[in-house]
Amino acid sequence: MLGAAASLAAAALQGPGTRVTYRVRVVEQGDRELARGAVSGPAGTDLRFALKTDSADIEALFQIVPQGDTVIVAAEFFTKRLAGRSRRGLALWEQDSYRRGVRLAWGDTARVHLFGRPRGGSRLWLELVLERGFSGGEGRPAEELQVVDAASDIRLEAVVRPRRARVILNLVRADTVSGPRGFDLVPDAPARRVQLAMAGRRTNLEIALTRPEPSPSARDRVLALDAEVVCLRVVAPPPSPDVAQPVGVVCGRLNDVARRLPLPGGDTLVATFAWPSGR
Amino acid sequence: MSDGHETWLKQIDAELDGELSLVERAALAKHLATCSHCSGARASQLEVRVAVARSAGDPHARVVPRPIIRGRALAFWVVVAIALGVAGGWLAHGRWGGPGGSLEDSRAAIVVH
Repeated sequence: MLGAAASLAAAALQGPGTRVTYRVRVVEQGDRELARGAVSGPAGTDLRFALKTDSADIEALFQIVPQGDTVIVAAEFFTKRLAGRSRRGLALWEQDSYRRGVRLAWGDTARVHLFGRPRGGSRLWLELVLERGFSGGEGRPAEELQVVDAASDIRLEAVVRPRRARVILNLVRADTVSGPRGFDLVPDAPARRVQLAMAGRRTNLEIALTRPEPSPSARDRVLALDAEVVCLRVVAPPPSPDVAQPVGVVCGRLNDVARRLPLPGGDTLVATFAWPSGR
Repeated sequence: MSDGHETWLKQIDAELDGELSLVERAALAKHLATCSHCSGARASQLEVRVAVARSAGDPHARVVPRPIIRGRALAFWVVVAIALGVAGGWLAHGRWGGPGGSLEDSRAAIVVH
């Protein structure tokens, strides 16, 4: 729900040339800086933050919804805290997930007290500053992180949901492979009819790109770990106009890894997902 | 025979504690008159009780005096029990943890500066 709102707001943000930057400092009690970094990307880029200590794992996904000169920051937290030890000496962890939100002006600093509201001094917090600017043609997300305290396990990641994906298809049968055919597909757009040729034989398919089903894992959902996963639905064109023949679905990240889907005629469809060029 | 003696020895204990009825005391007296073993056991029991009464500081007591719990001793053992409880709780919390504070207090908070 929030993700959809963020996507809509991002689309309506300031046009296609806008770039959003999350500047982050992780500070310990006594103003000791543990790490600093930044994540930037096109409108709609989210920030995934993770901090692991001996007694706590804190992971959060920060999303923004611009509203004029202000911006609403919504954060979904997924935390684990060491609650003690079992009688058999194993660690017992408390797992929690919740949301936080705040409205601030662009350039203001939001202090995120990771272990709760400060009472006489917080022991660890995150300073977050949001900036926006013109992209200058740079469409790719960027991440930078300097960890001052090497003992700290801190991560910053840009999370971008693909608006398009490059899908490269091959047909394979035994040792014969067809030439690759690439398509730029938009998730949830209407199906597209394609024709693949191999050894003088033509295969017609209808392909459509969709988003994956929500993950059954709460952590995966909260942290949008499947943000860059897309699914290709393949349907054999109906012999008569009324009868569709679903072939299957193949899902994967946009990481240039080939994934195989057997076709009814004995061929195998190999699909590779990648970010579109020029990103 | 041995079981019979066991029963009479229990009756002797009960008699010295003043717990027997007249009928039971009469039966016991009749048995003691004919059984040197049980009458010897009764004499031994009486001697033990005399020794206990003496050690309790009351050699002329009619029955064995009950131990008296003094205020200081009571206070001492209460303090020891509390200290043991606190130490045990502290160790158990360190090992197995505890319920902790309020959940909301432990969750992240965002403050705008």
